[in-house]
Amino acid sequence: MKLSEMKPDHEAVVSGINGDARFLSRITSIGITPGCKILVMRNDRNRPMLVYSRNTMIALNRKECVGIEVEEATA
Amino acid sequence: MSATIALLGQPNSGKSTVFNALTGLKQHVGNWPGKTVEKKEGSFVRDGKEYAVADLPGSYSLTANSDEEVITCEYIASGKADVVCILADSSQLERSLYMMADYAGIKVPSFLVLNMADVAADQGKKIDTKVLEEKLGIPVISLSATDNKKYDAFFEAMNRAISNKSMINIAGLEAELQKVDAYAKIRALLPEEGVKSYSPTWLGVKAIENDKLVMEQLKSVLSVAEEKQVEEIRCTSKGALDTGNSKFAWIDELLDGALSEQKEKIGVSKLDKIYLSPFWGKPAVVLTILLGLIGSFIPALPLMGVGSAIDMLKAPVGSALASAGVSDVLIALICNVVIQSFSYIFKMLGFVFGVLLVFGLLEEVGVMARISYVFDNTMAKLGLQGKSVMPFLISFGCTMGGAAGTRVIDNYGQKVLTIALAWAVPCGAAWAVIPMLSSLFFGPGAVAVVVAILLTMIVHMWITAKIFGRKLVKKEDRYGMIMELPPYHKPKWGALFRYVLGRTKDTFFRVSKVVLLVCVLFWALSYSFTPGVDPILCKIGKVIEPVTKIFGLNWQLFMAFVASSVGKEGALGVISALFTDGSVYGAFNDAMSGAATAENLNDILLANVSKPQALAFIFAITFNMPCVVALASTYQEIASAKWTAKIALYYTLGALVLAMIAYHIGLLIW
Repeated sequence: MKLSEMKPDHEAVVSGINGDARFLSRITSIGITPGCKILVMRNDRNRPMLVYSRNTMIALNRKECVGIEVEEATA
Repeated sequence: MSATIALLGQPNSGKSTVFNALTGLKQHVGNWPGKTVEKKEGSFVRDGKEYAVADLPGSYSLTANSDEEVITCEYIASGKADVVCILADSSQLERSLYMMADYAGIKVPSFLVLNMADVAADQGKKIDTKVLEEKLGIPVISLSATDNKKYDAFFEAMNRAISNKSMINIAGLEAELQKVDAYAKIRALLPEEGVKSYSPTWLGVKAIENDKLVMEQLKSVLSVAEEKQVEEIRCTSKGALDTGNSKFAWIDELLDGALSEQKEKIGVSKLDKIYLSPFWGKPAVVLTILLGLIGSFIPALPLMGVGSAIDMLKAPVGSALASAGVSDVLIALICNVVIQSFSYIFKMLGFVFGVLLVFGLLEEVGVMARISYVFDNTMAKLGLQGKSVMPFLISFGCTMGGAAGTRVIDNYGQKVLTIALAWAVPCGAAWAVIPMLSSLFFGPGAVAVVVAILLTMIVHMWITAKIFGRKLVKKEDRYGMIMELPPYHKPKWGALFRYVLGRTKDTFFRVSKVVLLVCVLFWALSYSFTPGVDPILCKIGKVIEPVTKIFGLNWQLFMAFVASSVGKEGALGVISALFTDGSVYGAFNDAMSGAATAENLNDILLANVSKPQALAFIFAITFNMPCVVALASTYQEIASAKWTAKIALYYTLGALVLAMIAYHIGLLIW
């Protein structure tokens, strides 16, 4: 599923990231890479998404999140 | 200069705090040649030796995608720096070491500073710098910038890096990278000695990441066939995802045994529950900024007092000069231009000091990142960051404060654009004039005028964003927000104070130059050197009256419009002086001091100005250049005479166009 479809307080593992070279470079440099765990903190309309990954709270624009594929972790 | 140090780190790594702590008041801010990117340099003396410091533009990586990243890469490759200080955030070590991993393989000596050690300690993290140092082969220290004594360790690490020419040991990274098939193939094609300061490992990584600068460099060492091969191999890889995985795998390996942490508990702090709430977020941010604005007045008071004191010098200095037999022209120049200007400058400077301090503090503790998040969607429509909302709100009080507030915007193009838009926000002085004039001419209709002004402001900002945005914030740079929200931390008072003082001092010198220049010019144009003869400004105004009437302004109103570029408070004084046969010169004085309007101003206005003219005049002065001090502080903040002039010209012409529209709409109504 897409990261943007995740519900808040749910954890997932990034399974794939799609986008141009520039997007890939930016998203990697902030620490989001395939295989990394990601916790959705907030997912409100008209706001960037708020996720937690590698000890960091990260705000992500919704449009860009569409390229991030995740597999929800079964707790 | 005994050595040059370059500071490299991701945003929020505390890079600017270290820069300020090192250089204190010895800073120079300008632009990188030909680029709209801020260049910060400074120097310091340690043990009798002078060191130069370059603060490289903030970026998340070293892949040449944005201007900031291109400049950073080129600067490092140029060999200007003797040593690179890489900064990372101890509280988010794994993620923030990415910059170090991205740098690994560049053959310029470096050392690693793990900043914000205090925050990490609070979170129960323990970092063994000795283990890291052994694995990395470069000096590693931890630093909590709150404490100035810790800089001894900083200098020790710096000197060790310089004298040992310490380079990062990349064997571990290379091993991880070799697991990527495409990398192994490309690496085999690259010359063992690399290109300039770049090792083949670094070049191989960047080739996979499709870095345009690196591909350009490779042309010099690869044949056309080999180059094509590199392209083909790259297409089989997942680009930055592959190399990113290798870098983080290497970082994990490095941290194994160096970092011990308690089981992290992810919680949202009480403050964040409010700021990040979809409902309360915006009101909380606006309230925070407004409180900050009010708070700025407290530290501003001493300097504002100095400004008032200077103003009181006018009378005694004037009479002293007169009794010494100095000519009237010179007395007028000294008292009404020089002393008056400095009084004005100091009052404004107080405000700048307050804004820099309060909003610098909000930036330091991490609140500014929340502001950015909350207003991201709104401001993105203008091509700006969420933080831009702060200078806009400050500009309702004073445009100069708004300009000073843009220092927290880390992208130069967006910073210039923010100031360009902030000028459209009517400042406190305009708000003193608009309701008074509107209610005088339009009675209860004044409410409609104020609403029209606010709507015009929004449209103005939107159009200006379109016009200036194309050049300042390029389309390919308009990326959605990908930003970390740093944990809240304690401010570094010492570094902050030194920075604010340095910046205020800098502002003082630059602003004084511009203000004096403009004021002397206006004075010369408006002073009657021969009694009874109209000053030049008056003559010009009368000659071009047929043109200015198209905008709904007769020559007296046009003079008031011109004076409002110097100071809005004085526009009414100019009108009252000119319609009562006073001198333009006296009127200009009023424009600077913002006092002295005729008691019967209302009658004068109603007798001489028609309703459409009044409407035109209100729009003209509201959307004119805010004032000469705002102009000067804009120049100070963006360090570009070209852009400052462009913005000023745009606003002067824009105000006249708006006046014309208002005038003709007025003619249709009345």
